[in-house]
Amino acid sequence: MSITDLIYLSQKSLRSNILRSILTSLGIIIGVSSVITMISIGSGARIEVEQQIERFGSNNLIVRSQSSSNRGVSMGANSVNTLTLKDMEALKEELPAIKAIAPRVSLSTQIVANGNNWLATVTGTTNDYFDLGNWKFENGRSFEEEELASGSRVAIIGKTVQKNLFDTDSPIDEVIRINKVPFTVIGLLDAKGGTAWADLDDTVIVPLKTAKQRLVAKKFPGDQIRSMTINVRSSDLLFKTEKDVDTVMRKLHKISANGNPDFVIRNYAQFLNARQESSRVMSILLATVAGISLIVGGIGIMNIMLVTVTERTKEIGVCMSVGAKKRDILLQFLIESLMISLIGGLIGIALGLGVIFGVSEYFKWKMSLDYMSIVLSFVFSSSIGIIFGFYPARKAANLNPIDALRYE
Amino acid sequence: MGDNKLLALDNIDLSINEGDFVSIMGSSGSGKSTLMNIIGCLDVPSSGEYHFRDNNVSTLNSNKLAELRNKDIGFVFQNFNLLPRLNAQENVVLPLLYSGKNLKERNQLAIEALESVGLKDRVHHRPNQLSGGQQQRVSIARAIAGSPKLILADEPTGALDSKTGLEIMKILNDLNAKGITIVLVTHEDDIANYGSRIIKMKDGKILEDKKNVNN
Repeated sequence: MSITDLIYLSQKSLRSNILRSILTSLGIIIGVSSVITMISIGSGARIEVEQQIERFGSNNLIVRSQSSSNRGVSMGANSVNTLTLKDMEALKEELPAIKAIAPRVSLSTQIVANGNNWLATVTGTTNDYFDLGNWKFENGRSFEEEELASGSRVAIIGKTVQKNLFDTDSPIDEVIRINKVPFTVIGLLDAKGGTAWADLDDTVIVPLKTAKQRLVAKKFPGDQIRSMTINVRSSDLLFKTEKDVDTVMRKLHKISANGNPDFVIRNYAQFLNARQESSRVMSILLATVAGISLIVGGIGIMNIMLVTVTERTKEIGVCMSVGAKKRDILLQFLIESLMISLIGGLIGIALGLGVIFGVSEYFKWKMSLDYMSIVLSFVFSSSIGIIFGFYPARKAANLNPIDALRYE
Repeated sequence: MGDNKLLALDNIDLSINEGDFVSIMGSSGSGKSTLMNIIGCLDVPSSGEYHFRDNNVSTLNSNKLAELRNKDIGFVFQNFNLLPRLNAQENVVLPLLYSGKNLKERNQLAIEALESVGLKDRVHHRPNQLSGGQQQRVSIARAIAGSPKLILADEPTGALDSKTGLEIMKILNDLNAKGITIVLVTHEDDIANYGSRIIKMKDGKILEDKKNVNN
């Protein structure tokens, strides 16, 4: 008996009870869709973390000033800039694990060029900012030492700013006005794309000194800065350096070890770890659901196949009387359970894809469809069909033809 | 009780020649069904031997038995035993599936078999769309599709009215005339009378075995 004949007979009997066949495969449907979703969440998280590192650089700590609450009275966010360039120099000196520090002052303001208006974040910083933040130049150059030292009116702009202000792709040497102060564009940054919360390319970068003198003199008087990005030599040192920075900063700002600090240290690795951890928890949860429903689904298949064998005992007897061998009967029932589980697998894959696209669409969760997961689901569901279908099929094949024929 | 075993068949010595039309009669419990199962290679005797053509059936395993049933034996049952999901042609094709004939050949054979029982225009009907007599004719077509040497008919008219029953008996008679050996189990005298030899059984023993003078 050829395999196509077996499949033909199997689909006949499955179709004669289509609702039951689909209900039977429900466990497989849920299991397989969970497997696909789980794998997609996992690989999506991995890719997102890789992208974040790509965007923000790795091994970075960000220290930002924070209004300290003084005797229970909050001084208000952004009202005080407690970080200074002196802090930065001191940290560099005290902690050899620090490779570089990029200071930052910033404001959000109107940029005018070419008769166009655009609101962007303007950052005043040094050249380290580009290395630490993984910024690449599409066009032009970074600042020259002389420009940084003298406070030249030069600016490097992000892709979003360029698109909104200029018709041309090469805005180099064009003039933009930031707070009415004219700046010459010397560089254009490569696009990084947006995150869920900000468009990284909506940026204008000018030398720190220029910004402090001409743009934010009131907001950041003296050597005050908004934040600094600290680059640590290796990832092993990241968490230790975070603690060291805290200790040094407390000493500099004369804050006791358990006092409220007037700064906050952001460890980006922490965020990435949390992100990975939460997707790992989600994956474990889904893996559990998948595992349980695949097993329950398998038992469901076995159960229904046992019922089917009993129901069709007489039919089995008839087949045996006209010359079906044990092997023929075994194969026919195995193929039936295999088909149930494969149909469940297919529906499960479709459902899983739906969930993946739905979730990534509505929750903006990064999900990546791994084609291996589809292969894996096929393997899963077919092995379940075979494993759990085997016992009923063998029971059918071992029926005595006379008893089977006599069964009513 | 104790050591006494219940013997379904006891001391049976029977030979059936090729081309015979044998009727086996007996009340229920007489052992005629068991005898029929052994003749039909559905079962093997617990002791003694049964030879079918060149085979000592008593020594065959279940696969060989299945092969014998498939190639040389056709069954006709009282309740037709057609598969309800399959149409007439597919039911007739069933034994040919197991013998591994190719699609074209087996469809051809099935159509021929259905034609020979007068169901040419019913090939795509399912059993529940056919009358009892038609269903029995489908099952005869299934029995003869693989050109068997022997047809075993177990009360083939039992579920039919007498007129339809006679039609079925006529078909069996015609098959016998073409050289196919027929073994018929029945408890009706006028049906048994179609046979050229009538065997009467009781309590697992052959009570009487004689040529049918009426035939």
